[in-house]
Amino acid sequence: MILRRLLSLYGLLFFVFVYAPILLVVIYSFNANTLNMMIWDGFTLDWYRQLFGMETSLTQSATFVDSTDQLWGAVRTSLIVALSTSVFSTVCGTALALAVARYRFRLARFYRTLMMLPMIMPDIVLGIALLIFFITIGMNLSMLTIIIGQSTFLISYVFVTVSARLAEVDTSVEEASADLGATPAQTFRKVTLPGIAPGILGGWLLAFIISMDDLVITYFIAGTGNTTLPIHIWGLLRRGIKPEINAIATLMLLFTLVIAAAGLYFRSRRQK
Amino acid sequence: MMPFDTFPAGVFPAGMQDHTPMPSPLEIIDARKSFRTPEGGTMTALDGISLKLASAEFVTLLGPSGCGKTTLLRTISGFETLDAGEVLIDGAAVTQMPAHRRPVNTVFQRYALFGHMSVARNVGYALEIAGRDKREIRARVGEMLELVGLAGMEQRAIQQLSGGQQQRVALARALAAKPKLLLLDEPLSALDKNLRQKMQQELKALQRELGIGFIFVTHDQEEALTMSDRIAVLAHGQIQQIGAPTELYQTPANLFTADFLGESNLLPVSVTGGRACLTDGQSFAAAHATGAATLLLRPEALSITPPEGHALSFTGTLRETYYTGTDHQITLETPAHGTLHALLRSGAALPGLGSEMTLHAPAQGLHLIDETLP
Repeated sequence: MILRRLLSLYGLLFFVFVYAPILLVVIYSFNANTLNMMIWDGFTLDWYRQLFGMETSLTQSATFVDSTDQLWGAVRTSLIVALSTSVFSTVCGTALALAVARYRFRLARFYRTLMMLPMIMPDIVLGIALLIFFITIGMNLSMLTIIIGQSTFLISYVFVTVSARLAEVDTSVEEASADLGATPAQTFRKVTLPGIAPGILGGWLLAFIISMDDLVITYFIAGTGNTTLPIHIWGLLRRGIKPEINAIATLMLLFTLVIAAAGLYFRSRRQK
Repeated sequence: MMPFDTFPAGVFPAGMQDHTPMPSPLEIIDARKSFRTPEGGTMTALDGISLKLASAEFVTLLGPSGCGKTTLLRTISGFETLDAGEVLIDGAAVTQMPAHRRPVNTVFQRYALFGHMSVARNVGYALEIAGRDKREIRARVGEMLELVGLAGMEQRAIQQLSGGQQQRVALARALAAKPKLLLLDEPLSALDKNLRQKMQQELKALQRELGIGFIFVTHDQEEALTMSDRIAVLAHGQIQQIGAPTELYQTPANLFTADFLGESNLLPVSVTGGRACLTDGQSFAAAHATGAATLLLRPEALSITPPEGHALSFTGTLRETYYTGTDHQITLETPAHGTLHALLRSGAALPGLGSEMTLHAPAQGLHLIDETLP
C-alpha cells in the first residue's frame, strides 16, 4: 500500500519535473510584470501584441525585439526551409524504405544500418562536417545549404517511420493486387501507398517539426541572410532573457502541438 | 458400334463434330525450380513436375510442408518463375508472363484482403483495374456476393467481417473477373472445423456450378479426399502419385502415398509364383511379380468376426482403444507384425485392455506396394 502511494508520488513528481518548466513559460507569457517575470503582476496580452507589431503599453527598454519584421522574416525562412526539407526528405526517405523493404539485394541490412546512422550522429559533428563539405565544394552558405544539410538527417527519420509501417503491411496484399491484374504502378498507387500513408504523413510531420526547431546543425550551415527562427531566438537570448521570449516559445509550442495533434488525428482515422 | 470411318462424309454422330479440342485449363511440363537457402546451399522445390488438367477439374496438390506445393501454385499464378519447364494456361504459354497478366486468380491463405477498401471495392477490384464501367462492376459485385452468400454486404468494412466472411469475400474477389482457373492456397486452414467442413462442400459445389478448373493446395489429407476430382500427392518436389481420391486411398503406388493418405498398416511380404507370404507364414493369392513387396491393410479392413472364405488373422494384445461414436479405433500389439491399427464399428465386443484378441482380414483383393519397407 505504501509502496503504491510512493509510486504514485514518484509518477506525479516525474510529470512535474518534465512539464513544470514548460507550463511556467506559458504562464509567464501572460505576466504583466516588465521587470521581473518571476513575480506575477497581473494578466496581459502585451507580449503577444508586441510580437505581432501591435500597439502596446510597453516601453522600448522592456523589449528586445528591435523590429517585428526581423522576427517574422525568421519565421518565414524557417517555414520555407521546413516545408522544402520535409517534402524532399519524405519523398527520398519513402523511396529508400520501399527499396530496402521490398527488394532483395546484397548488403540490404548494411544499408538499413547506414540509414539509421545520421539519427545517432552528434549534431555538432554533422554540423561541422556539412560546413566543411559546403566550403570544400565551393558552395556559398544560403537557404539551399540549410535545406540540403537538414535533409541529410531528416531522410533517416522518414525512413525509420515509413519502414516501421511497411513492416506491418502484408506483402501478400500486394501480391493479391497483382494477381487481380494490377500493374506494379497500379498496385503501388491503390494498395501499397494507402497502406503506408499514415507512416508517410507521420514521417513528414516529424521531419517538419524537427526542421522547424533545429538549431545546432542549422547554425553551422546558415548564411548570414538566412536566419531561421531558432537561430534568431538564440541571437536574442544572448542579450538577456526578456519576457517576450515566453510569448514566442508559447506560440512555437502551440504550433508544434497542433501539428502533432493533426498527425495523431490522421493516423487514428486511417486505422479505423 | 460402327467403326469411325464408315460414316458418310459430313455425317458424324452427335458429339463427334470436328471442332478444335478444348484446350486444357492448365498444363505444366517438367517444371523445375530451386532456391538458394540462407546457409548457402540450394533447395530443390520443384524437381520435374508435369501435370495436365483434362477439363474443368478440381485438382488438389497435397503434401507435407516443404514438399513444393505452394511453390508450384506460385509458378502458376506467376509469383515465382521456373528455372526450367513450361506453364500453359488455357493452351497459351505463360511461363514468362508476369502475374498481373495471367488469366488466373488466387484465394490466398490469409485472404490478403484490402483493409482500406469496402467489401464492394475488394470484390470489384479486378474489374476496376480492367477499367470496366461502374454499373457493370456494381452488378457483378452484387452477383458475386450473392454467389458466396454475402448479399447486401457491399458497404461493410473488411474489419467488420468474421473470418468465415472474409474467406467468402476473398473467394468472390478472385472469381469476379471470371478467371480461367482458380488457385486456392490452403484457404480453409484458418477456419474452425465446422465452418471448414461447410466451406469444403460449398467450394466443391461452386466449382461444379462455375465449370472452371480449381487448383487447391492443402496439407490436410481429409480435405483433399473430400473435395477433389483428382489429388496429386507431392513430396520432395515431385508428384508421388496423381489420381482419383479412391484410387489413391485404395491402391497407393508407393509407401509415401499409402502412409500420407489415411491410416495404414504396412506389412512386408515376399511373393513367389503368384502367392504372397507374410513373415509369419500366412499366404494369399497375389497378382504381383516375384520378389519382396509391402502389403497395405487399411484399419477398416480388419474385423473381429472372420469374413467368409480365406482370411488372414492377426493375434495380439489390445493396447489402446478410442471411441469416436461411430467407431472404435484400436491398437493391437502383435508378436509377428508389430503394432496394428484397426477401425471397428461401434458395438463391436471388445475385450479389456491388455487381453489377447484376434483380428481378421479377407485374403482377396489386397493391395501390394512394389516398394519394400525400410
